[in-house]
Amino acid sequence: MGSEILTYPFIFLALYFESFLLVTYLSKPARERRNAPTTTNLSGTPQVAIVVSVWNEETTIKGTIESLLALEYPQDKLSLILVNDGSTDGTPAVIDRFAAHPQITALHEQHAGKFAAMNAGIEYAKDAELIGFLDADSLVAPDALKEIVAAFADRDIDAVTASMSIHKPRTMLQRMQYAEYTLSITLRHAFASINSLYVTPGPFSFYRQSVFTRLGLFKHAYLAEDMEMAMRMQRAGMRIGNAIRARVYTKGPPTFRKLLKQRVRWTTGFLRNVLFDYRDLIGSRKNAALGLLVLPLGIMAIGSGIFLFIYYVTQVVQHGLHMITLVQAVPLSYTFSWHPLTWFYVPITMTTLLGTTLMLSVLAWMMIGKHISKTPGKLALNVVVYALLYGVITPIWLMYSVSNVALGTRTTWR
Amino acid sequence: MSLFARNSLIALLIAGAITGTVAYAINYLNSARIAELSAIEDKLSIDTLSLETQFSLIAASPCDSVASTTTFTGELSDLGSRLAYTENQLGTNNDKVMRLKEQYSLLEIRDYLLTKQLAATCGTKPVTVLYFYSNKGDCADCDKAGYALSYLRTTYPALRVYSFDYNLDLGALKTLIVLTKLNGSLPAFVINGKRSYGFTSLDDLEQQFPKGALATSSANKSN
Repeated sequence: MGSEILTYPFIFLALYFESFLLVTYLSKPARERRNAPTTTNLSGTPQVAIVVSVWNEETTIKGTIESLLALEYPQDKLSLILVNDGSTDGTPAVIDRFAAHPQITALHEQHAGKFAAMNAGIEYAKDAELIGFLDADSLVAPDALKEIVAAFADRDIDAVTASMSIHKPRTMLQRMQYAEYTLSITLRHAFASINSLYVTPGPFSFYRQSVFTRLGLFKHAYLAEDMEMAMRMQRAGMRIGNAIRARVYTKGPPTFRKLLKQRVRWTTGFLRNVLFDYRDLIGSRKNAALGLLVLPLGIMAIGSGIFLFIYYVTQVVQHGLHMITLVQAVPLSYTFSWHPLTWFYVPITMTTLLGTTLMLSVLAWMMIGKHISKTPGKLALNVVVYALLYGVITPIWLMYSVSNVALGTRTTWR
Repeated sequence: MSLFARNSLIALLIAGAITGTVAYAINYLNSARIAELSAIEDKLSIDTLSLETQFSLIAASPCDSVASTTTFTGELSDLGSRLAYTENQLGTNNDKVMRLKEQYSLLEIRDYLLTKQLAATCGTKPVTVLYFYSNKGDCADCDKAGYALSYLRTTYPALRVYSFDYNLDLGALKTLIVLTKLNGSLPAFVINGKRSYGFTSLDDLEQQFPKGALATSSANKSN
């Protein structure tokens, strides 16, 4: 047993989180949202504007715009606002090719950051009841907007998030992200049912116009404007929902350097917003699910991720060095010779058994997320890659992020 | 009760139930391990008694028992490996494991004495190694020495290796330590009565064996 006991509190917390997720997923509000009908009759549907802020995305923006134009929604009810945030590549030319389209407004702004570009788009969407956003590296399914609008049928809902997945994963890291995103689909669905989402992601989140008139526009927010807006809404007592069948496909960072950059931006954005600007949400009884569970566990997950990584690396190094000294004592042929195993020597401990239980439950949530959102793609291989890489890679950006926040290092976009 | 409070409570119960079930399963498994160890020890204990009795009964031809003691030593070695694994899993403070370890040490001493008795009576020339170690963290080379002896025991099955925890509070073991005149330095080896201390390499350890002893043991393997 020994030092293994140090891991028990973290494992129990993870188990508690998984159990909470299960109970919430099975509870009535989540069931009702899963089974809610999609809007089929689109007459009398709200006026919708979708803002796409673009900064140097010449390779992906065309596909993004085309997918938006293919949305199954009355043309006179849908306008697209393309905001070029001072791109220096071929993006402006691509955008201008679509400028003549009756549904499209193209704006060219000085580079001021994503939040400023989004705000410029909002200013041009005064007649829209619902304003959505889409990152310029993302594509939407044709029926995604119908699903989003259906979720707004509940008048208490002020914003709606979509189900994101990785578009055509190719590299190992993209495959890992594919599995991770399918897990997030279930998490977002379950936690939306108890109004405890703290982020309205860039890819295809929608807001009622009233959100901006009441709360104001987006802020810089440590480059996490989508988290900040969600937290601002939570503080104001607004509701953030989820349309689980509204599928949006985003391009996952293909390389470690790009992934690290993205995740450090997300994690530092989360930490800085929660710890500096929205600390009052932690422990808040006004929204107990968010204040007493989701945010505290989110912070603890960062700490435990780093602790467990250091713990296991230390264990592996210690045992590895020990094994090397042992192996050096005798001929290698003995070490690698076949030693018959019986059940007696199977290394089953609390940690291995509970860890296996957790991994299986994560796998189950991924399968559920993929199934209920009808996300295309094959999960099996991606899950294997996820299992092999995620636990090793995640602590790197967690440590990097914590270090940046502690030292006050400024985070950059790319 | 709010939905959040209800869900939190049910989740706590589920997490507690899963943890409890896993803890029960682990405890059950460890109990099964100890039961198996106990069963092996009981069997070996009967085998030892049987051999000793056999030895006394057939005073005229006691040497017929030699073959069976070789098998016995192999089983004893297997028991030692299992015991070491269980001790590593459950810790050195587990009473049941310590009790089994004491019984195991007694079985080893009895087998060692029987081997010496057979050698004196039948003229066999067994190579015996008494190996003393400590797992209290005060013996840096004990793991290496133990692993090297495991290798030698596997390579030369007729080699009789008896491993003893130097710190075990067992009267018979303390007597053995006194009789072998060990100075407390660990790891310690008594190879056919000759003492040596410390472990540097397999070659150095093999040098401690009587000339041709390992070859003889190897030859026994093929017999």
